[in-house]
Amino acid sequence: MSAVEVIGASKIFNQGKTQQVDALVDVNLTVDQGEFVSLIGPSGCGKSTLLRLIANLLEPTGGSLMVNNKTVSQARLDQDYGMAFQQAGLFDWRTVSKNIELPLELKGWDKEKRSARAAEMLELVKLPEFADLYPWQLSGGMQQRIAIARALAAHPPLLLMDEPFGALDEMTREYMQGELLRICGETATTVVFVTHSIPEAVYLSNRVVVMSPRPGRITSVIDVDLGAKRNEDTRAADGFFRNITAVREALRGTQADHASANAIRGLEDR
Amino acid sequence: MKILTRIKNILVPLSFGVVFLLLWEGAVRVFDLKPYFLAAPSKIFEQFTKNTSRIWDATSVSGTNALVGLIIGTILGIAMSFVLSRFSFLNQLITPLAISLNAIPIFVLVAVLNNMYSITSEIPRRFMVTLVVYFIVLVNVAKGLTQVRSTHVELMHSYAASDIEILRKVRVPNAVPYLFTALKVAAPASVITAFVSEYFGGLQNGLGSRITSNIANSKNAAAWAYVLGACLLGLAFYTVSIILEKITRKGETK
Repeated sequence: MSAVEVIGASKIFNQGKTQQVDALVDVNLTVDQGEFVSLIGPSGCGKSTLLRLIANLLEPTGGSLMVNNKTVSQARLDQDYGMAFQQAGLFDWRTVSKNIELPLELKGWDKEKRSARAAEMLELVKLPEFADLYPWQLSGGMQQRIAIARALAAHPPLLLMDEPFGALDEMTREYMQGELLRICGETATTVVFVTHSIPEAVYLSNRVVVMSPRPGRITSVIDVDLGAKRNEDTRAADGFFRNITAVREALRGTQADHASANAIRGLEDR
Repeated sequence: MKILTRIKNILVPLSFGVVFLLLWEGAVRVFDLKPYFLAAPSKIFEQFTKNTSRIWDATSVSGTNALVGLIIGTILGIAMSFVLSRFSFLNQLITPLAISLNAIPIFVLVAVLNNMYSITSEIPRRFMVTLVVYFIVLVNVAKGLTQVRSTHVELMHSYAASDIEILRKVRVPNAVPYLFTALKVAAPASVITAFVSEYFGGLQNGLGSRITSNIANSKNAAAWAYVLGACLLGLAFYTVSIILEKITRKGETK
């Protein structure tokens, strides 16, 4: 059974109007259980749109999407996935543990079960002593770890992440990547991860999906052959650089398309 | 250290006030200013202590008008902001009306309202306060209910939360600080409105009317004593609004 199945999905904004944008055209993608897949590409390639289609936050204009062999709308109703964004998006008026409890509240869990799970999640992200603090008392990296704890609180089989480490500094970012791999390994969670960073995509992923804009589409899928166990040594390994080069070359293709498209239209938008 | 800065925070403004009053008193004595020009603080204080019960009566009349208007205006403002945030098309209908109503000078409305109700009625004044408070609360709370972070709304949608749940768990908590910002402005404004409304006829029992009648009788020091009462009333309203804010806020100061 595949965790995510995208079959011929399209998303057109402002269809039929002058500002029509073909955000995604005929996208096919299958993500297996326990797999870590990154979506990478220049701005406007539709990677965030694809993530939102999988999350059922947007309706596709064509094609179909399945999560755990259910329609995406059913998967959303069942809270089959957790989500994390570039901004941690914690609620300032809730303590750290109350933030983690939010999805459980909406599922109708009782209070004891909720706080037990929140404590368990805080152990998982190694921040148990911060339960009763408010989010603004935490650093950006800690806030993002709480956001991950919240996304995984209901133990969903799938985690959808939209540039979650984009606002963090390089050192915190690398630490968070290691932590994410550890957490997802311990919980056997499938991840679809949107990023701008090539090393980040290579370090984290089993497969890197390269996308290109106008119209948004998948141009290539690169298998990352770094094995299952990754650690800080991975970042210095030959295979790491070889994979980075492979992704970079795939991306360069999309940039060339981008440049020629501009040349044809006589535009310079960047 | 903390206690020291706290003492400093109280002592500096306090000593400034004392110095200001001494300069005032000194100026009146040295330049021999006549009481009809400027009353000395000592005379004002004398009048204040002599007329305490009368000033208290006038203060409670104006204070009650302000409080009634403040409470009704706040309740109506909150209720309307919920309606506005639910039906955004109403915003375009209500906003121009609110702006044009706010642009009318208060006294015009009070004069009209005084004609509508009997001359012994407090309703026109309370209605005026209600109106002023209503718009302050409405504008702020509506902003708090609608200007929520898009990440929060997307997150709630990803949990398949209903509109009611989003209202309860995101919009309302987000609007609470906006409500207290509104109250901090509305509380002193309600006192000023209650006070100014008394200048346009009706019962002669509040602070505003007492000040005009004392000035008309050349009792300047007594008029100033009523001004002092008005000052204390405004301060009391402001202080209460700040205390309410502190209680509800649970340490989320940035």
